[in-house]
Amino acid sequence: MTFLRGRAELGVAAFLALVGVVVLVDGLGLPTVSAAADPVGTRPMPLVVGTMLLVCAVFLAVDVVRGGRGEVEGGEDVDLDHPSDWRTVGLLLVAFVANIVLIDRLGFVISGAILFWGSCFALGSRHLVRDPLISVALSLGTFYGFYSGLGIHLPAGVLQGVL
Amino acid sequence: MVIVVGYAPGPPGEAALRRGAEEARLRGARLVVVNSSRGDALVDRRFAQAEDLEQVERTLAAAGVQWSLHQPVRGREASEEIVRAAHEARADLIVIGLRHRSPVGKLLMGSTAQSVLLDAECPVLAVKGER
Amino acid sequence: MDLGPLMEGFATAATPMNLLYATIGVILGTAVGVLPGIGPAMTVALLLPVTYSLPPTSALIMFAGVYYGGMYGGSTTSILLNTPGESSSVVTAIEGNLMAKRGRAAQALATAAIGSFVAGTIGTALLVACAPIVTKFAVSMGAPDYFAVMLLALLAVSAVLGSSRLRGFCSLGLGLAIGLIGLDRVSGQPRLTFGQAELADGIDIVVVAVAIFALGEALWVAAHLRRKAAQIIPVGQPWMGREDWKRSWKPWLRGTAYGFPFGALPAGGAEIPTFLSYITEKRLSKPRDEFGTGAIEGVAGPEAANNASAAGTLVPMLSLGLPTNATAAIMLAALTGFGIQPGPLLFQKEPQLVWGLIASLFIGNALLLLLNLPLAPAWAKLLQIPRPYLYAGILFFASLGAYAVNLQSFDLVLLLVFGLVGFMMRRFGLPILPLIIGVIIGPRIERQLRTALSVAGGDVSTLWSEPLAVGIYVIIAVLLLWPLLVRLLRRNPRRPRFKDA
Repeated sequence: MTFLRGRAELGVAAFLALVGVVVLVDGLGLPTVSAAADPVGTRPMPLVVGTMLLVCAVFLAVDVVRGGRGEVEGGEDVDLDHPSDWRTVGLLLVAFVANIVLIDRLGFVISGAILFWGSCFALGSRHLVRDPLISVALSLGTFYGFYSGLGIHLPAGVLQGVL
Repeated sequence: MVIVVGYAPGPPGEAALRRGAEEARLRGARLVVVNSSRGDALVDRRFAQAEDLEQVERTLAAAGVQWSLHQPVRGREASEEIVRAAHEARADLIVIGLRHRSPVGKLLMGSTAQSVLLDAECPVLAVKGER
Repeated sequence: MDLGPLMEGFATAATPMNLLYATIGVILGTAVGVLPGIGPAMTVALLLPVTYSLPPTSALIMFAGVYYGGMYGGSTTSILLNTPGESSSVVTAIEGNLMAKRGRAAQALATAAIGSFVAGTIGTALLVACAPIVTKFAVSMGAPDYFAVMLLALLAVSAVLGSSRLRGFCSLGLGLAIGLIGLDRVSGQPRLTFGQAELADGIDIVVVAVAIFALGEALWVAAHLRRKAAQIIPVGQPWMGREDWKRSWKPWLRGTAYGFPFGALPAGGAEIPTFLSYITEKRLSKPRDEFGTGAIEGVAGPEAANNASAAGTLVPMLSLGLPTNATAAIMLAALTGFGIQPGPLLFQKEPQLVWGLIASLFIGNALLLLLNLPLAPAWAKLLQIPRPYLYAGILFFASLGAYAVNLQSFDLVLLLVFGLVGFMMRRFGLPILPLIIGVIIGPRIERQLRTALSVAGGDVSTLWSEPLAVGIYVIIAVLLLWPLLVRLLRRNPRRPRFKDA
């Protein structure tokens, strides 16, 4: 098991291989009918891409086993000295999924506000009055902005008729 | 004996510093100066930089007290950092400066002084900033 | 040179509506440039869904404003932030910040803004001169040539940029796979749709771009948020004395000369020319130089290079339809979304769009100078916004945008999936750009291949029948074999020694 420690990148190689296999299998399932107008057909591209992914996956696995590491992306706001803060990411994902689930039912104004406020909370902001106010203002503002400015009707959901 | 001073650049913080130094001299205590930032915004006016710290040094040197500076940037509120520092140092007194906040302002922006007063384990001395 | 189309372009760009969009674009671009962590590429991606209800010309004008504005805004932060760390204009920060600490912030800001304006204007003028030439040349290209050029673009981005070629190719592979999803245009066969009706049209590039750039970035930063508390160095009105002007104008021109060609090359980017400019200015500065304590040449040159490279990027983008950086890639995705085919025929088919865009670049540069020169210290105040609000905003607008494309929550699920992919890529060092370029160019390169072979009746040798194509394949071969060549060349000098012994 210690062999696998620190070699999380093998997961990436596995992912690439999986995608490659999927592309290949899907590609092989395509009919090989080729008309005179299209001698190449629809098959070659998926087959090439799938093979490429598998080859890359193998090379990547080899590289990782030999100790190679991908360079973790840095950035202005990124502090790589500490391990990943999974709690924050998890909370953000919860807020995001909540929006996905609720947007059609409760309407954009409510679910968007939940998304914004949830994200603020996840990222550490604990102003319990200021944040929800900003969230609601933002989602209301964009709702009306999209409606009148761009003609896009976001779902009003539960608040249909009120807005 | 330990006295914790909550400092931020500006009249209230400086008033707290001076008063804290006075108290420390009277009681023969050492000062722990806490100036924290949540680190959320890239630029935080209330986080002391080099010039502010020079001023702090001069004020405290003139008072002739023993002192140490803590500038934690951990994503916690200033009030929490002050109370925490007081707890860890087993402080006998906390000195903070007061800024005028309207009720709406307190609702929207929070009040460090209020939180310190409510959460502290030891007596708190709140000083008004000089106009 | 026929300036007629350009004059018409000015007429298009100067309409009140387009001026409004140009202004919005440059304001957004400057704001985004000032703020760390958010860049023009992410902003354009977030704006994509919003713009589909706008006329294409206005949308592109706004995007170009964001693009140029980002370059201006970045220099403000790097000069005024007293602990610069890594910022988008790292090289400017070296001398610029030193100048600011010495009390010369006003001059640093002025030379950055004016230099950006000079470089941007010259760069755009060069664009006006070069693009039609490249286009005329490009129209004579056949499908085999296109195929070769696109292949070069794909390989250059994957193999040249970034620390690991292997991972660049992995990224490219993923991008190409994503591009495959949907019904094949020629035969109508579904590929990788898994029976889902929503995937029949393929995955909207907007969703992919927003997911990879915005959501992936936000999640990644959230996992590693750097907590920092710095200060802005106070500064008054930016201005420059005569001495400063004298010292700045040559670095401006040299910087422009560096920036423009690099911007036009695939995988050239803006980092190399700014760095080259810095080194050149350092070497050329007189003995009584101030490099290391705040030399104005060290700000003037790199800033000019930065902006010139942005203009240079537009040459291949507009005349060939090839993106050389992330922002250009997303702008091309926007064009595709509007139903406009990017490529050499763009100048012929949509002259109003192209020339309106180019004219608005001149206007935009002027607007940016007006915005940035007097107001730079005010822009710096934006840095006091707490980051939780910024990143929550990114998540909010990303979801909003992805949803607004089709008003389906399925797109949000896709957004989430690709956002996680983007997160994974940043964690494991897979470069982002090859993926996006793979998604955009993949379908097009396949089309070129099939057209080429269809025209030649299935004869594969058509691919290397054109001299241009052959030349490009040679370049590709050199590019791919470069590391091997380097290794071989290093071994050779040692052999004679052994023989002597």
